Amino acid sequence: MQTAVKKALGFAWVLPALVLLGAFVYLPLVQNFGFSLQKWDIYSGTSEFVGLKNYLKLVDDPIFWSALGNNLLYAVISVAFQVFGAIVLAAIIESIRSDRWRRSLRAIYFVPSAISLTVAGLLFYFIYEPNLGLLNAALDSVGLDALARPWLGQESTAMLGIIAMSQWQGFGYSTLLFAIAIQRIPSELYEAASIDGVGPFRRFFTVTLPLVREMTGLMMIVTISGAFQVFNEVMVMTSGGPNNSTQVLGTWLYRSGFVRNDFGYAAAIAMVIFIVTLAIALVQLWITRRRRVEW
Amino acid sequence: MHTRTRITAAAFIAAGALLVTGCAGGSSAAPVDVTATPEYSGTLSILTKFAGDPLQPYFEDLATEYTALHPDVSFDLIQETDQSVKDKTKTLTASGALPDIYFSFTGNWADNFIRGGLAADLTDVIGPDTDWGQTFGPASLGAFETDGKYYGVPLYNNGKFMGYNKAIFDEAGVSVPTSFEELIDSCPTIRAAGYEPIAFGNKDGWPGLHYLQQLFAYNVPADVLEADFDPETATLDDPGYLKALEQFKTLVDTCTDTGDGTNGVLYTTAQEALAGGKAAMYYQEILEFDTVTAEGNALTTDNFGFFALPVPAGAQGDPDAIEGAPEGYLVNAKSPRAALAIDFLKFVTDKTNAQTLAAPPYGQPSTVVGAVSAETSSNAVVDGISQVNEASQIVAWLDMVTVPEVADAWLAGGEAIISGSATPDEVLTSVRDASESAE
Repeated sequence: MQTAVKKALGFAWVLPALVLLGAFVYLPLVQNFGFSLQKWDIYSGTSEFVGLKNYLKLVDDPIFWSALGNNLLYAVISVAFQVFGAIVLAAIIESIRSDRWRRSLRAIYFVPSAISLTVAGLLFYFIYEPNLGLLNAALDSVGLDALARPWLGQESTAMLGIIAMSQWQGFGYSTLLFAIAIQRIPSELYEAASIDGVGPFRRFFTVTLPLVREMTGLMMIVTISGAFQVFNEVMVMTSGGPNNSTQVLGTWLYRSGFVRNDFGYAAAIAMVIFIVTLAIALVQLWITRRRRVEW
Repeated sequence: MHTRTRITAAAFIAAGALLVTGCAGGSSAAPVDVTATPEYSGTLSILTKFAGDPLQPYFEDLATEYTALHPDVSFDLIQETDQSVKDKTKTLTASGALPDIYFSFTGNWADNFIRGGLAADLTDVIGPDTDWGQTFGPASLGAFETDGKYYGVPLYNNGKFMGYNKAIFDEAGVSVPTSFEELIDSCPTIRAAGYEPIAFGNKDGWPGLHYLQQLFAYNVPADVLEADFDPETATLDDPGYLKALEQFKTLVDTCTDTGDGTNGVLYTTAQEALAGGKAAMYYQEILEFDTVTAEGNALTTDNFGFFALPVPAGAQGDPDAIEGAPEGYLVNAKSPRAALAIDFLKFVTDKTNAQTLAAPPYGQPSTVVGAVSAETSSNAVVDGISQVNEASQIVAWLDMVTVPEVADAWLAGGEAIISGSATPDEVLTSVRDASESAE
């Protein structure tokens, strides 16, 4: 009897969270899947069941594939900078003896993360502006005017320009998280390694890297998932142009729905984003669970 | 059946039920009585396109004045910019939260709301035979007419012209071009004098569409162009399209300093280049005339001039067509305050308020007959609207006159022409594909 009451009480405690999750996460997810099987007219409010037609349309849509490619590029570069680059930087910062310098550097690198993506996007839009932008002016002033170009106005450079801004914005945040993970590593391990004559590079690969593996896994999930949910910076800086060259799945979803009035197709793109991010999260959770290191 | 299986089955049934309810769309409501006597109470919600300076205060002031007349009426003003109003309107539409009065372009944009039953039929109050209807120019009123019914209240008219700085033209020794070829030829001379010949910013895509639509009107016969707007009848095989795309590319490459990087420039940056005396020309709407010559700008009203984009030699379309369209407001067909909304719109378009709208700093060429005059508006606005009225036809904006898929293909195509990543042939093929898939 007491066990039953305990169980009921336990269920009661989690019920509010379950209701909220159900109402705001799972219900919209199921509804979105429903929308993806329809052709929906927002003006008349009518809809027509079209089965998997919207998913088949995805296969033949070159902009969808180029958007997916842009997300992948975003993910690869973000992992390189915001995971591996950030670990290296965090290790360097944490190896500095001066406490004051360590704190100052952590703060300096973290500041861009405190700026909203929209503001950072606008800021970089003006840095890249072909006529008045700081970047071209800087290149000009050091005699590299041949490299000056309309960064966001050309299809070859626009996506990389956006990704560069994103790295600037997110780099400090992941560095800070890695710095915290490194601080948690017992100093005895480093001392032991030093006594054994291990140099700083080898210490990094044999002590630091294995012991921040959990954080690395987490940051990989967050970074790759984030790369597939990119939206704000692209909308602010290029709106997906020129000639759809900077479309990512999020902006193509938005454009399909809110500009082209094809909300069923937009819902299908949303399902793709969900499946991709869910798959990435599951795979990486599985990998990091298997390799968990404890001390 | 195991408990877990039952739970799974129940979850699928619930999901299925959601899908079915999701598929059940549409709602029918009794048509609102637009002729009813308004009840002067409650909150009137309005979505405008007047966010930012100098337009923002117009509706704010009118709301304050109307509340002074009817103290029980309050307002919920949602003010958006030209760019954001499109997204905002669709978001409100999709979520069933359209305000009582909302901004609308003409053409396919307005047709969607009319077809979806979201715009009240205003024929009984604003039709051409009604007292209110007769206060508007007939062409402006007709812009919101569908199947003999009138759905919109046109607030101001608009047209696209090449604005120029007379002082720079004099300094460079060039005169107003009389043909497209003369315009192109004048650009190196203006550049040699130290100015950007034509300031152009196409970050948002639609400024390029404005050039294209005017060039299409010049190069493609009017009946062909009209048929091509509708995917059901479109063939998009007239050679005029290719000529227009080539002319556009020539203009970008020869007359802008940004060239193939024009897609990275905001249209407001280009506008400021003319206003600041750095560029000789900027292709602009009448609505911008008073903005570029506002107090404090290097460009003064005396030095500001404008001309229609010159016609290319041998063009097969209509040389007297001008691109433009009235813009106005629709009344939500499901609004419980439709009569009050109409009363407010009558207040907005009475002669006094229409004259205020047409005068600086707003400079919006009101559609109300007699509101735009030398006494109330700047000379440029008066002349601009006269030219629009005298045009053989008004060709509506390309991104509003055709279906969104085709408009979007033109938009991407315009950007590709500027950056040089696609040839005119390739652009036309992609537009044709979009039109075929939209049928």
